[in-house]
Amino acid sequence: MDALNCFHCGEPVTTGRQFETLIDNVPQPMCCPGCQAVSAAIIEAGLTNYYKYRTEPGSKQTALVPEALNAFSAFDLKEVQQDFVHQDLHKDKQSASTSLTIDGITCAACAWLIEHKLQHLDGINKIAVNTTTERAQVSWDPEKLKLSEILAQISRIGYQAAPYQVDDEEIQSKKNSRKFLLRLGLAGFATMQVMMFALALYSDYFTDLDVEFRDYFRWVSMIFAAPVVFYSAQPFYFSAVRAMLSGRLNMDVSVSIAICGAYIASCIATVSGQGEVYFESVSMFTFFLLLGRYFEQNARKKASISSNNLHKLIPLTANLLDVDGNQTEVPAKRLKVGDLIMVKPGEVIAADGDIVEGMSCVNEAMLTGEQMPVTKNITSQVYAGTINVDHPIKVQVTATGQDQLVAEIIRLQEAASNNKPKVALYVDTISNYFTWTILVVAALTYLVWKHYWPEDAFWVTLSVLVATCPCALALATPTAVTCATGLFTRLGVVARRTGVFEKLPKVDQVVFDKTGTLTCGSLTLRETKKFTQRFNQDASRDVLAIAAAMESHSIHPIAKAFAPYYQTGYRLDDSQYVAGAGVQAKVNDTRYFLGSADFIRQNTGLTAIDGQHSVYLADNDALLAGFTLSDTVREDAKATLATLKEMGFATCIASGDTSEHVEQVAREVGIENLHKGLKPQDKLKLINQLKDEGKQVVMFGDGVNDAPVLAGANLSVAMGSGADIAKNSADLILLGDQLSRFPQAVRIAKMTEQIIRQNLIWALGYNLLIIPLAVTGHVLPYIAAIGMSASSLIVVANSLRLLKVRL
Amino acid sequence: MSIIYVLIPIAMLFVLVAVGIFFWAVKSEQFDDLDRQSVSILFDDDIKQKPSESSDESTPR
Repeated sequence: MDALNCFHCGEPVTTGRQFETLIDNVPQPMCCPGCQAVSAAIIEAGLTNYYKYRTEPGSKQTALVPEALNAFSAFDLKEVQQDFVHQDLHKDKQSASTSLTIDGITCAACAWLIEHKLQHLDGINKIAVNTTTERAQVSWDPEKLKLSEILAQISRIGYQAAPYQVDDEEIQSKKNSRKFLLRLGLAGFATMQVMMFALALYSDYFTDLDVEFRDYFRWVSMIFAAPVVFYSAQPFYFSAVRAMLSGRLNMDVSVSIAICGAYIASCIATVSGQGEVYFESVSMFTFFLLLGRYFEQNARKKASISSNNLHKLIPLTANLLDVDGNQTEVPAKRLKVGDLIMVKPGEVIAADGDIVEGMSCVNEAMLTGEQMPVTKNITSQVYAGTINVDHPIKVQVTATGQDQLVAEIIRLQEAASNNKPKVALYVDTISNYFTWTILVVAALTYLVWKHYWPEDAFWVTLSVLVATCPCALALATPTAVTCATGLFTRLGVVARRTGVFEKLPKVDQVVFDKTGTLTCGSLTLRETKKFTQRFNQDASRDVLAIAAAMESHSIHPIAKAFAPYYQTGYRLDDSQYVAGAGVQAKVNDTRYFLGSADFIRQNTGLTAIDGQHSVYLADNDALLAGFTLSDTVREDAKATLATLKEMGFATCIASGDTSEHVEQVAREVGIENLHKGLKPQDKLKLINQLKDEGKQVVMFGDGVNDAPVLAGANLSVAMGSGADIAKNSADLILLGDQLSRFPQAVRIAKMTEQIIRQNLIWALGYNLLIIPLAVTGHVLPYIAAIGMSASSLIVVANSLRLLKVRL
Repeated sequence: MSIIYVLIPIAMLFVLVAVGIFFWAVKSEQFDDLDRQSVSILFDDDIKQKPSESSDESTPR
């Protein structure tokens, strides 16, 4: 059979042509009800052009859970809104505005889609979606439209939106980067002009230029170079002053001295009509340096924005019960220890507490990374952030705010990340020595020349400063890192910290968490075994359809595994769920039982159960089928592991899971070394032990429980679909969840390291060669300028080679 | 040759205007989202044909 791909998200369709949407009068296959609902909503709104112009497939949709939509209503509470909604009072009409982060934007067509879908809503004043930052700025009329409705509309076409708070740091960095762009642009314009006049002035060496015109060109150059020196180059002066005040020397010190010295000297030469001018060197030098820094800053800004997008405001609300049993909805931060709260199925538990009434299953994936829900009885502890799966429970709050388990884990993570050894950048150390050397050499040159040939002393010293300008040295690392960051972006790898390019080439030990990294992190049906001949040839289909019908009202992860097999024509009545065990219900008037071996035994008295499957289906008289559910291994896991082994990495699994499944996954991907049943502390211990053995450890993880471990490893990698907190503590994020990107990233980092080394060797070599010549007064001004520019250009060109790498 | 005494100041004026436009463009956030603007022309085309379509569609809902 041909592999069928979902028209919306591009993933393979495993369920046949069960879900279809009519797009441009052609029925297109969809992989799941989620994608089908989203594409239908897009077509219904008349936005077919999205499919025509998009350049990337949409993001995969999980079926919309009605409970998740209800959660939006919390954003309508006044107390929650005051944190992020701004009320603008115009003359006659009211309007509120807020910023939303939007998950799932893959290309510009998404932005268009969201804007057009929302513009049709009554009450929207303005909406602007920014694809780079994955954010939207919305302003609306609160009288006509609720914020929850806006969020619901966005989720209907397949994006998850949530308000967020911009932190001061980001506002500041945005302001800075705009100022930087202004400085850079101005320097660019001025440099072009000054270079033009410089060309005319250089011709003076070959043919005679009238002194009158020469002076005129010099004056014009001086005027054009002035804004560059006084405005564009400011960041270097500030940085130099800051460094000197704190008793250090950095490259900006010699950069500032060179810029100011050359400009002042050139001005003197212009006014007095004697000596040489260096206006073009000054402007070009400034422009190149700014360009390098601008790229560097941009890459860093992008990283800070995407990590800020994770700071979504999650207004956990709780149903507070008073003495009479009345419920009121209150924000979670107002809960106190001892309060009684009601948690309905599908709701997120708002605070740590003990169950006082009811029993249910709780999905603790957010804490442990395991999707299998844990059964909770009266007196069991439940934790904030976990999801109640099947029955309403009453919880007595035992901890709030900073005392909760989640907060504890975050603290553990912070402590671990503070222990990281500070990796000093190459250039910081080199530039310190280099600057000292240049300054000392320049000072000595001045003293010696002053003593013997006083009239030339100033010019020779200046040519030392210009010719040995650390331009190439300053550009060596940032340009290479910028190009590599660009490559990473193309691959879908986000480098969140600056040290990544130094650490990646050194690592030699990879530790994988199992769930969510090697596996997809959601249950799927792996095997169906039927025990009865009663059904006709199509038997496996039928038992599956019965099971799917029985689970159709549940949001349990097991139910999700059956959802693709749902067929119409199976009527469900009288369903009863037993937490952590199973479900019994009538399907088409026959009573069936679906659940664990114990559940079947207790309810039907059947004993011939082999115990090899995770879920069984039975009716009153016979066992019908057994289903094996498991977490599927990621498609590219095996190939990636093979590549890693080839590259000389040692690999191992560190999983919190205790079941057989760990061995199974390990066998499947080819990892021999495995540790199972590890708590977060044990994982941290394992990592530290490996580090003590002299290994450089990379940790892959995705749950909240992995956060401290991620922070403890030399380098950490999180999956794009993982928990937000894991992403916040990771050095690298693999968007699109493709493991195979990691070995590629290592290769790029190795290449980057090589190119940085070449750049530094070249820059230092050039300077070592030119210093003796400059000191002895053998470097003519135009040779100094050409040499300086050429050495920078060579460094930039060498770094650009990285962009040509084909992977 | 003395014409350059007039032409160069005029050229400087042009540069000044160009710098002014650049500053205005940066301050009005035109450089904030470069991916989006490059393709927006594709979409703007069909907005013209859309009002009739969308008004038809939105009434029955």
